[in-house]
Formats: sequence, C-alpha cells, structure tokens
Amino acid sequence: MDILNSLMDGFSVALQPYYLFLILVGGILGTVIGMLPGLGPATGVAILLPMTFSMGPTASLITMMGVYIGAMFGGSRSSILINTPGDGAALAATFDGYPMAMKGRAESALAISAIASLIGGTIAAILMTLMAEPVAGLAIKFGPAEYCLLMVAALSMTVSMSKGNMLKGFLSMCIGLAISTVGIDGQSGLQRFTFGVLELQTGIDFLVVIIGIYALGEVFKSFSTLGEGGKKAQTKFKKIWISKDDWKRSKWPILRSAPVGFIIGALPGAGGTMASLMCYNNEKQLSKNKEEFGHGAIEGLAAPESANNAASIGAMIPMLSLGVPGSGTTAVMMGALLMLGIQPGPLLFAQHPDTAWGLIASMFVANVILAVVNLPLAGVLVRLLAIPPKILYPIVLSLAFVGCFAISASVVDFYILIILGVAGVLMARVDIPTSPMILAAIVGGQMEQSFRQGYRISNQDLGVFMDSGIAQGLLAVTVLSVLLPLIKAIRSKTTTKPA
Amino acid sequence: MIRLKRMFTGMVIATTSLISINAAIASDYPPHTINMVAPAGAGGGWDLTIRTVAKTLKDTGLVESNMPVVNRPGGGGAVNLSYMQTQTGKGDLISVYSPPILLTNLTGLTQYSYKDTTPLARLITDYAAFVVPENSKYKTIKDVMDALKEDPKSVKIGGTSAAGSMDHIQFLLVAKAAGVENLRNIDYVSFQNGSLIAQALGGHVDLISTGLGDVAGLVQSGKLHALAQTADKRIGTGLIGEIPTVKEQGIDVIFENWRGLFGPKDMPEEAVAYWHDALQKMVATPEWKAALKRNGWDDAYQDEKAFTEFLGDTNTQYKTLIKSVFGR
Repeated sequence: MDILNSLMDGFSVALQPYYLFLILVGGILGTVIGMLPGLGPATGVAILLPMTFSMGPTASLITMMGVYIGAMFGGSRSSILINTPGDGAALAATFDGYPMAMKGRAESALAISAIASLIGGTIAAILMTLMAEPVAGLAIKFGPAEYCLLMVAALSMTVSMSKGNMLKGFLSMCIGLAISTVGIDGQSGLQRFTFGVLELQTGIDFLVVIIGIYALGEVFKSFSTLGEGGKKAQTKFKKIWISKDDWKRSKWPILRSAPVGFIIGALPGAGGTMASLMCYNNEKQLSKNKEEFGHGAIEGLAAPESANNAASIGAMIPMLSLGVPGSGTTAVMMGALLMLGIQPGPLLFAQHPDTAWGLIASMFVANVILAVVNLPLAGVLVRLLAIPPKILYPIVLSLAFVGCFAISASVVDFYILIILGVAGVLMARVDIPTSPMILAAIVGGQMEQSFRQGYRISNQDLGVFMDSGIAQGLLAVTVLSVLLPLIKAIRSKTTTKPA
Repeated sequence: MIRLKRMFTGMVIATTSLISINAAIASDYPPHTINMVAPAGAGGGWDLTIRTVAKTLKDTGLVESNMPVVNRPGGGGAVNLSYMQTQTGKGDLISVYSPPILLTNLTGLTQYSYKDTTPLARLITDYAAFVVPENSKYKTIKDVMDALKEDPKSVKIGGTSAAGSMDHIQFLLVAKAAGVENLRNIDYVSFQNGSLIAQALGGHVDLISTGLGDVAGLVQSGKLHALAQTADKRIGTGLIGEIPTVKEQGIDVIFENWRGLFGPKDMPEEAVAYWHDALQKMVATPEWKAALKRNGWDDAYQDEKAFTEFLGDTNTQYKTLIKSVFGR
C-alpha cells in the first residue's frame, strides 16, 4: 500500500488552500486559453512559465497542471459552439458536438463534454497512480515500425468510416497526405514543396489546416445564405445538464475511451489528437446508431472528450517516469522542472516525492475543480449562440486569424488559411468528407517518417513491420477496419437482393 | 488618460537618462524596450537561454530596459534570420543562436549566414553525447568507429534534428576524425517527433547522437550508457563525470554546441559596446553562475571579437565536412 500512502501524502499537499487556489486560477486561465483557436496548453503553460518561477517547484508545477487540464476542458467549448477546435485534441469534438449545437442541444453537448472530461481524466489519473511503470515500459516498446502501423491503423479507420463514398474519403486523405509532405524532410534534410518560401520549411501546421477547413470553411459556407437572414440564432436556453437517456448512451463510450486514450497519450509524439480520433472511430464502429454519427450523436462527443483528457494525463508518464517529454506541453513543463532544479525521470519519485505525488494528486483535484467550474461557465458560453450569425461570424473570422498567427507568427499562414477555407467550402459542395484529409495532415508526416526510419534501420527489410506482437496487432486492426465495412456492404447487398 | 501617458513617457525618459548617468555614457542607448528573440517556439534550448539571459540581466539590474522575450520560430531559425535583415543597423533586437546558424546556411536552407548579423558574445556551451542502450554491445566509441570502418551500415545513428543538421554533423565530425571513410554511407535516422530518447531506451536505434544536457538524467539513473562526450575535458560530477571524452579515446576532435547572442547586421557601435559591457558583467554574477549550474550549462564566454573569429573557424570546418558528405 506504498502507492496509496504516497498518494495520500500527495493529497495532503494538493488540498492545501493555497494550492487549491492555484489550481482554480490556473484552471480558469487554461480554459480561456484552450478555447481560443491556436492557443493550446503548450502556449498557455509557456506564457505562465516566468510567473511561476518565484513560487517554488511544487506550486509552480501545480499551477501548470491547472492550466494544462483547464486547456483540455476549454478546447472543446469552441469546437461545440463555433465549429472551431481550440487545439488538435478538440478536433473530434466538432464532429458531433457542433451538429448537436445546431440542433439546439448545445446545453447537453457542453454538459457531456465536461462530464466525459472529468470521468476520463479521473480514470486516467487512477491508471497513472497504479500503472505508470508498466505503461512507460510499453511506450518504449514502440519503435518506428510500430509508430508507422499505429498511424496507418488510424488513417484506414477514418477513411473506411467516412460517410458515403469510400473513394471520396480516399481522395480527401490523399490531399491531407500531400499537405503533410511540405517542409524539410527529416531523413534526407531536403526541402519538399517549399517553393523557396522560408516559412514553409517547417511544414504546414495541422492546426492551420483545422482552423482553415472548419472555422473559415464554416463562415464561407454561410455567405450563400447570409443574405436571406441565414440560420436563426438560438434565443431560449435550457439548463446545462444531460438527460437519463443521454447518460445511458454515453456511459460505456466514456469508460471505454479513457484507458485507450491514456495509453495512446503515453506514447511520445502520439498525443491527444490521435487518441480522441481513434476513440471516436471505435465508438462509431461499435455503435448501433452509426448513421447518427456526424449528425449529433452524443456518444460521438462523449468518447473523444473522455479520451483526450485521459491522453493529456497519459502524456505525463514519459516525462515523469522516463524523463522524456511526450508532447509539446510536457516539453515546456520539463523545461520548467529543469529550471527549478528538478531532474524529471526515473529518479524523480525517489528524490522529490512531495513534488511528484503532489503533482499526481493535483491531477485528480484539477479534474474535479474544472468540472465544477465548467458547468456554470458553459451556461454563460452557450449564449454565444444567441448572437446572430452576421455578428458572430466576423468574430469567428478574426479569432481564426489571431489563432493562426499565434501558432507560428507567420503571415504566410494567412494565405494558407484562406486557401484552405475556400477548399473547405468546395469540398462540402461536392460532398467530399474533410475528416480523412485532416487526419492525414496530422498523422501523414509521422507515418511517412517512421516508415522510412524503420526501413532504414532494418537495412531495407520490410519484415520489421511484422516482427513484433504490437506490430501484428496493429496490422490486424488495419485489415479489419478496411474489411469489415466491405463485408457488411456485401452482406447487405446479398440480403436485400432476394427481397 | 493623456496625462497618464505623458507622465509615463516622462518617467521613461527620466529612467533612461538616469541609467546613462549611472553608466557614465552620454548616449541614448539602451532604448526603453529591447526585444529578446528566440528563433524557435517556447520550451526549447534557444528559448530557455534567452529567457535566462533576460531574467539574469533584469534581476541583477545590469540592464534596466524592458526585455520582452519574443518567439519567432520557423525554418530552424532561418525565418528570424531573414527578419533580422529588415532590422539592419538597429540596436533593439538581440537574438540567440547556436551551430544551426552556420549549418542552415551551409546546407543551403537559407542564403543568410552569421555574416549577416553582429555577433555579440558566446555565452554557454553544451557538448555532444553519444549514447547507447543499457545492454548495447558497444562499450566504447572506438568500438562503434571500428564497426563503422568495417561496414558503414552496421551502426544506425539516431538524432533529433533533420539529416545534415546538428545531431548528424556532430557525429560525422567525430567519425571523420576517427578515420571512418564513406561518411555518406552511414545511416542517420531523424526522430523529429520528440521520441528519440524513448527510441534509445527501447533499443530501436543502436546509438543516439544528442546533447549531453538532454540525457544527463537518464545517464545518471543508469538506463542509458554514454560512450563519449565531445568536450576537451571531463564535465560534471557522478556518472556524468565518468563519461570519457572522445579525445581520451584517441579521436582528436571537440564539438561544442555553443549558444551565443547576435544583433542585427551593422548594429551601432555604442550598442555593441553596451552589450560587451553588460554581458561581460553578467557572466561574472552569482545569479548567472547559479543558472549555469541549474541548467547543466558550461560557461563558454567569449566577447564579440573572439566570438566572431571562432565563428569563422568553425564555419570553415563544417563547410569542408558538409561538402565531402553531401556534395553541396
């Protein structure tokens, strides 16, 4: 019961009024930062960094934890209300969250998002307490081949799930893959598709793609209807809560997605975006109400929300137990730890038990505090929908540009943003789904790089992609995700024929 | 409001003039605000360095101007470098750079080089470390070099930066000095998603070429084994202090991952003199020494003259290597 004792010691730190206050302030700041497109947890923590220096290591880390988890809660608010994810991890929340809001169910959407985040985060914090060591061990088993197959599995799931025409899904994916190749290629050091533009050397940030396609795309689409008054603004608001039926539908997706999100989050470089997208696809696959997905299915929002909070906690594992930052945010946190004179890694728990366990306990506390703060906050935010489109859309537009600038401080990204916005409208016109493109833009680069890493390390032997148990498992998932819809399609054809 | 503004301006003028009197220099440098630029995003080495410099200068009162830290990422620092060309002749921008300012130019990623800036001072340095998993068959860096001489494909080298950038070049410099031929045939694998150290822990690459500071914790815990580092002497204490230098093992080369400060090209003389003074004083303060210790940095101070000369020499060294490996 050593762990339990240590955790209790951690709580005795995290529950002191001073630290509670810091979590609260950090959490609210984080929520606001998370809501703004382009400003994610990494930026939020980095901005706060200098302020926390005078506080001492424990207080400083706990505040950052508040900001981090706050940003995870906040990220999906803007996904649901204005179809603009605050960061990559909140992308999946647009798929069903925004349709829910359009159908006048924004209150339930905001409520389930906070509840799923709370439950997902708490489950992950429990897993973190109990299994940090074995999960860290699993994470380092992922070599280039396994990373590559993980990305392939994620991509094939999205493409095969995309509504309607699989060929169109495939086309959309190819556009995304093309976007992901822009920039300096790591393995050769050569430039690809940069056309001599310096800013393109680092590639096109997937957040720019997301903001362009979703936020700008949404606004541009409205131009055609704006003259006729556009869609009506919502005027009446219900309580921010969910019905019994909503809960029944969301319960299992939330519980299932948390451990999956946690493990994917623990893989260095995979993160919340991947975790939430994979869990969304899982639920769509498992659900009886498949056709509702994408049109406001509550479980389609609950699953990714649970997964991304779980992933954000999983991402702390490589940093705390290996001393390897697994994501942008944890890299900033690790920098902060170093500046405060604490070396993260295997020795952290032995050398600074107060800080380490205080941090873990603060994950539990932060999740609860944020859920409590977020429910009433949602009551205020939901009134955004009362703003008529002709006023709301210009606000969205300026937020999109500000967010885009915050990512890379580059004007070149503005042009890319506009081009993508127009592309978003055109794709909607001809019914090409956008989610395969976005996912491909996110994972394409890493998929290609890890393929070439694995291929080079094995001296050009493709067998490496089938050697390990993890690799075989991921291959099986990929094959199934392509075959299952096909088999179903064939079966439904043969059964409908005689009738 | 207007009165407040006027008061504020008055205060600014008063403080700046006070500083000049204190410093006994009759000039209008330093300005009220000096932008401290990290040519990368928040959280990396450049960012940490410039923030530490700004904080130390402020805390010790050596510079009283406002020193906001600006992140201008992109192109491995090249975006900021080309921005600096628009600030030629100005004195209110200080940027941090390290060997990539030479490498991005030599590999053709940007047309600008260190010659398009005003080098102000070299401050600190880290060294390269060559690290293997706990149970690796390679016990010394000589073992690795011998294996590479036998078959350049036999050892896979991992690094964070892209091929042709720092992690790759630092290894090749050592390999070249060790007498390995066919440097082009050595397989270098870039892990830019931040998973490099995890890849080494899992034994997915044979050796990683990285910074001594980046692996210090893991080496100390015994999970990774460092074969060699590239300083001219042993560094640090404990297990870190036990890492042999490549020189000790008969490979006559050192590699320094220095970080230094640069102003825009043709920076006014008074600004250069001001920073010469401020930085020379800063590196002697206990605050700066504490920061060095905290971050595991090695003091490598050189003033603007020595630094410029150093840059010239290093540039030639890299140029020869890159030409022989990449033919560019």
